[in-house]
Order: sequence, then C-alpha cells, then structure tokens
Amino acid sequence: MSDQDAPAPADAEAEAPAEPTTPPDPAREALADALRRDLGDGFLEHANANGDLWIRVSRDCWRRAAETLKVKHGFDYFCFVSGIDWLENPELSSRYEAVYSGDGGSGEDGGDEAAPAADAGPTLLGDRVAGGDTRFTVFGRVFSTTKKWGVTLKADLDEANPTVESWVTVYRGADWHERETWEMFGFQFDGHPGLRHMYLPGGFEGFPLRKDFPLLARMVKPWPGLVDKEPIPGEDDDSEQQGEQQEAAAT
Amino acid sequence: MGLVESGHMPKPLTKLLNTARKYSLWMYQWGLACCAIEMGSAMGSPRYDIMRLGVIPLPASPRQADLLVVSGTVTDKISPALRRLYEQMPDPKYVISMGSCANCGGPYWDSYSVTKGCDQIVPVDVYVPGCPPRPEALLEGIILLQQRIADEDMAVRWAGEARVVAERDPHAEVPA
Amino acid sequence: MTITEAQQLAYISGQAAEARVRFELETEGMTLNIGPQHPATHGTLRIVVRLDGEQVVWADPVCGYMHRGYEKLAETRKYQQVTTLVNRIDWLGHFANEVPFILAVEQLYEVEAPPRAQWLRTIFFELARIANITLFLGEMGVQLGAFTPVFYAFRDREHVLNLMESVTGGRFHPNFDRVGGLKDDIPKGWVEETKAVMNKVRDFCDEMEDLLVGNEIYEQRTRGIGVIPARVGLEYGLSGANIRASGIDWDIRRDSPSPLAWKECDWKVWTHTDGDVWARYWVRLQETREAAKIVDQLCDGLPSGPIMAKMPARLRVPKGEAWISTENPLGEMGYYVVSDGGPSGPFRCKIRTPSFNNISIVPWLLRGVYVPDVISILASLYFILGDIDR
Repeated sequence: MSDQDAPAPADAEAEAPAEPTTPPDPAREALADALRRDLGDGFLEHANANGDLWIRVSRDCWRRAAETLKVKHGFDYFCFVSGIDWLENPELSSRYEAVYSGDGGSGEDGGDEAAPAADAGPTLLGDRVAGGDTRFTVFGRVFSTTKKWGVTLKADLDEANPTVESWVTVYRGADWHERETWEMFGFQFDGHPGLRHMYLPGGFEGFPLRKDFPLLARMVKPWPGLVDKEPIPGEDDDSEQQGEQQEAAAT
Repeated sequence: MGLVESGHMPKPLTKLLNTARKYSLWMYQWGLACCAIEMGSAMGSPRYDIMRLGVIPLPASPRQADLLVVSGTVTDKISPALRRLYEQMPDPKYVISMGSCANCGGPYWDSYSVTKGCDQIVPVDVYVPGCPPRPEALLEGIILLQQRIADEDMAVRWAGEARVVAERDPHAEVPA
Repeated sequence: MTITEAQQLAYISGQAAEARVRFELETEGMTLNIGPQHPATHGTLRIVVRLDGEQVVWADPVCGYMHRGYEKLAETRKYQQVTTLVNRIDWLGHFANEVPFILAVEQLYEVEAPPRAQWLRTIFFELARIANITLFLGEMGVQLGAFTPVFYAFRDREHVLNLMESVTGGRFHPNFDRVGGLKDDIPKGWVEETKAVMNKVRDFCDEMEDLLVGNEIYEQRTRGIGVIPARVGLEYGLSGANIRASGIDWDIRRDSPSPLAWKECDWKVWTHTDGDVWARYWVRLQETREAAKIVDQLCDGLPSGPIMAKMPARLRVPKGEAWISTENPLGEMGYYVVSDGGPSGPFRCKIRTPSFNNISIVPWLLRGVYVPDVISILASLYFILGDIDR
C-alpha cells in the first residue's frame, strides 16, 4: 500500500490513457478474483487505479456485487452512488476553443474535434477506465475502514431503459444518493422506497446532469468571457484576432 | 400618525422621525450561503459590531423587522419562501441584497436552479457587491440605506408608493 | 468494530422509545415544520417532523433550497475555473474544497506540485479546518441556549481569516490552488504570525472547554443524546468527526496515501466511544488542537524551493478518470473527475460531499427523540448547507 501513491512516470501515459497507472497489488487482485468467483459472468473487468479497485459488473449483478462486498469482504462504509452520461456534448466541449482562441492558435486540436461531432450527431465518449460502451454508467463506491481502501463499482445502463436494482437493502445511506441520481440522470432504482425529488422543486422537468439538458441562461446570454477584452496571460493568441472572434460571436 | 395619513407632514417632524427610524433598524437576516457567515461576522464579531449603527439583529420573526438582508444564493426552490416572509414584514420595509448571488446570480449565473437576482422577487433598496462582501461592505450598505431613509418623504411613502426618495433611483422599474 | 455497552444501551432505549411511541402512547399526531428559514438549521434546511406529544415519530429533511448545480456547472468551466466554484461548496472550509479537485486533476495530468507547495497546501488546509471548526465550537453553544461562545468563535476566527487574507487576498474564498502548485508564495513574516495565531487558537479551545465541556447543563443536554452506533453510521456513510465519535479510528489524512504533508508531522487521530452529541463536540475540539499542532510543525519545517511545477498556460488534461478524497473539516470530500482529453473543463465531475451523507442519517436518528434534542442533534452532526445541496 505504501507505493500506491507514487506518481507513475509521465512517459507511461501518453499512449494509453485508459491503462491503470499502478502495478497490480496482491490484496486487490485477490479481492477481484474472489468477486469473480462469486459473481460469475456478472464480473466484467477490473482496474487497479491509484490504490482503489475499480470493477465493472453487469447490470443484473449491481446489487449482488455490493452485498458480497459488504457481507463477505467487510466493505462497511458507503461512500456514494452516482451516474455518468457519456454522450459527448459538442456545444460544451468546443466552447473553450470558440471563445478563447482564434483560428490559428489551435486549429489542429480543437477545431476538428468538434466538427465531426456536429455532423454525425452526438457521439459517446470512449476510452473509459473499466467502462463499457453504452450511454449511461451507474457507479458507486464503498470503502473498508479496516482495510483502508475502497472499491468503485460500475455498471453500464442502456439508454432506453436505465434501470438497476437499488442498494437500499444493502447500504441504508444509498437511499438519498439514489434519489439524487434519479433526479439528475433519470435512472430507475428497483426496490427503492420512494424516488422523490431531492434537490429540485416538484415541477422540474428534465434531468439536469444529462448532457443533452441545456443550460437556458447560456442560450439567452453569451458567456461572460466574451466581454473580457484582455487575452489570458500566457496565451499566444493575439488580441485582435480574439476581438474579431468576439464580435462574430456576439452578433 | 394622523398627520402622515393626511399626506401633509411638517418637514421638521419628518426629519425627526426619519432620524429615529434610521437608527433603529430591526434586521431580519435571511442567511443563505457564504455571505451569511460574513453577515454573522458583522453581527457577532467585536471587530465589526453592526449594533453601533443602530441595527438590531435577530428579531424573533419577520413581523418585527424593518430591514431584510438577503445574503446568499436565492434558488428557485427558496424564492416562494423569501417572498412570503417579505410580505409578512410591516411597512415601511427595506431590503439589502448582499453578495453577487443575491444581486444577479453571481458565479451561478448559468445554473438551472438559481434565481438570477433576488430583485425578481422582492424590491431591493441597496445592493452590496462582492463574493462574498466583507463585513465592512455590509456596514457601508447599511449606511447608504440610512442616508436613503433620512431623505425619505414619509407621507408619500405611507401613501403606498414603492420607493420615494429625493436622489436618483437606478432601480425604479423593478416590480414591487 | 466493537459496540460499547453504552452504545448498545442507548440503541436499545432508542428502539424502546420507538415502540412506546407506536403502541403505548397512540395519540393524535402533529406535524411540525422546521425551516426552511430557521436559525437552528444554519441556513435553509427544512425538516418536517411528525410529533406525538413531544416525541418525534418521523422526521424527513427536505434539502435542495441551496442547490446550485455545481456538477453541471463544473462541466461548462475550464479546470482553472472550477476551483472558483468548488470553493463555495463548504463555505467555511474554503481552501479544503479546492485541494481534492486539484489533486485529482494533477493525478490525471501526471504532475506533482513541488514540496513547498504541498506543505503550504497542507498548512492552508489545516487553517481552513480551524476556521471551519471554531465556528462549530461556538455555534453549538447557541443551539443549546448559550450565546457567549459564538462571539468568542467569531473573534478568534478573524485571526485565521486574516492569515488567509494576507496570503491569498480573500478572507473566504482564496481560489489559490492551481494545477501543479500554488498561485503565490507566502509574504514575509507570515510564518511567525501564523505561530502566534495558533497559540490564540489553542487558547480558544481551552476557553471553549472551560465554557461548555465542563458545564453541567451542557453535559445534561448532550450526554447520551443522539447516539449513533458505528455500524449504522458506516452504513449511512458518515465520515469525519461524526464517525470518529462513534469509535471508528479512520482518518483519510493518516490512512490514505496523499501527496500532502500530513505524513511529515506528528499528530493524533482522536476517537471517542460514546457516539453521542457530547462525543462529537469533544472529538472536534481535539481535532482543532491537532490542526494547530500540525500547522505549527509544518511552519517549522517549511522547505524552500519553487511553489509551482512547470505547467503550460493552456491545460490539456489527458483522457482518464480519477478519484481523490481528502479529510475535510466536515468529513470525507471526494471528486470523481472524468476528462475527455479536450481543451475544455472536466467531462464529468462527481462531487462527494460529507454533509450529504452525514445528514442522511437524520430520519433514522431523530426517531423517538424529544423536540429540544432535535436541535442539539442537528447541530452536533454539523452540516453546511452548501455541502449538502451542492
């Protein structure tokens, strides 16, 4: 455990960003093997990233995996449950390029990333750590206060019917987290006592953390960065080019 | 107060009453976010000591308050409650909007759940800028409000005008 | 994980109270709405409690009055801009909120800040802890009817805020942490001033101990009230002092690998076995003293050198995912950052805040307690609204 925090050398990164950055650890590998035996086909893959074990399980095993971890392996502390929407949002990811740099500054990296996405419609982000390729991922983390390390569980959900079993019967604290995830992503949790609104007023429509949920204020008002005439210090774009860009964006 | 209702207040009497009013503001603190802590510093810390300006914090209910300080982010969920408590305050009442969030949404200007400015819900007399404003800034806001109260024509105010002051009012069009 | 006899008894008596409410004293109930604007809730938490006589039968906290959508906004900001936002999650522990996010981004970017920056980060982190917990130590008295402590807390908190201001320019929201280091170095004479302030903080802790901890009324209103057995607390995900007061010896600063400088100093993680309101207060009191100790030691051994690693002006974080959590003043705060490799900000930024879990135990904890104890239990769980609602 002592060498888990050592930062991996930078040259290992460049080619394969999705690779685990730490060497396999016996305790974590043993847990992964035990879990693979318990879950069978439900255990899909695992990665050992920075002292934590990340495991992807199938959707049907979501609750069983947590139960096994808690009952058999002593992962007693519940950390969180949340979700990820992997839909790439060209509007958001290209914002920085559009606003802060001229055409010359970053032509080869920013421009052509956003352009095909706009043509082909929204795409999904790939290269996930212990991740599949559907649109939604539900993930949660549990921790062992005796082992002092944790496990992040992930499960892929399909877009049409994002439903998983609830963790409430395993960890009572999951109640609120699942309510929040339902509110933010629209995931259904089977067996949850009542998926009510957690944060938003009752009449709120849409699921805010989905990537296709628009921020209306941004549509009616330009990003305040546009008002800023000064270039960001250290950037190599010249200010006239930025000025032109701002005028074009403002009209 | 028959004089006030008749609409003819002698000038010296107005001046006297205004002076009395401006140094006995009961402040209902609507502490919402980070600014509430700075407001708390202004009230509780011996370094700032808001009471030396004649402001009395911590009234038991909004029905006993003259001044509402909205300090912090007003969200869409809290705004009905804000309006409701504001309406419970007796006239004449004043509102200070403290901090960027209460002024215009601040760093959350594009959020889906934040009301962009509490002046959409209650009429604001003084805006205190900052994120969060220092306690001194709140004290200055209160001094500005006191100047405004000193300039007020009570008879017109009692007649139901939203805001009647001698000075230029940049927010005259805010719906009450 | 052993449950002490006192815990067990308290748990059983809680169950008995519940049974009594259910069967023996079946009277017409009353629903009491506390909040959303109420002095006892430190902000805008609303709690709906159903009462039977003076006992709480059922309690349901309604959150969301301070929901500002950090996770969505973080997706629309650049990495450097996100610290401005996350400062404001737990507004009393300002700097401590930035650190886990920056560490997560540094992990993705595979850069590490130079030692001096890590030590200064640790110092500011602990200063934020002191600024946060001192207010709790005073506020607890207010909830129980003693007004004096909070004035002392505000008085001594100013010294810590002055320190932060002299370095960062902001009393509250320093926005000082950068990917790869810190924005600036400390001014001249800061270290000496800090050590003087730490003495004041220790004096303040002694003062609080004299004022509250030994007070008989205070003890009667806090001992044995709101007992959380460790097993239940863990299931709800309680962290920080709340779980340490139930006997779990777990502190992320000590137990998890971190590039920050906690491992360089000599300090102690305090636990208590009672798990009640009193224990939570006592553990936080000790924690403040330990924080002052840590700051003192770090100030003595502050290494020289640069405070910023070599970083490009435009940050392009490679694709990947990272999870980092730290022991914030309120408990475990963690960021799960997903980068899409683009030039804009994080693709997804899940923020795990301690108060959200800490307060989720309230429906369980408030069953069977009496109305006046509701306030002391809520105050002892110590939550910040921005930290619950995000």
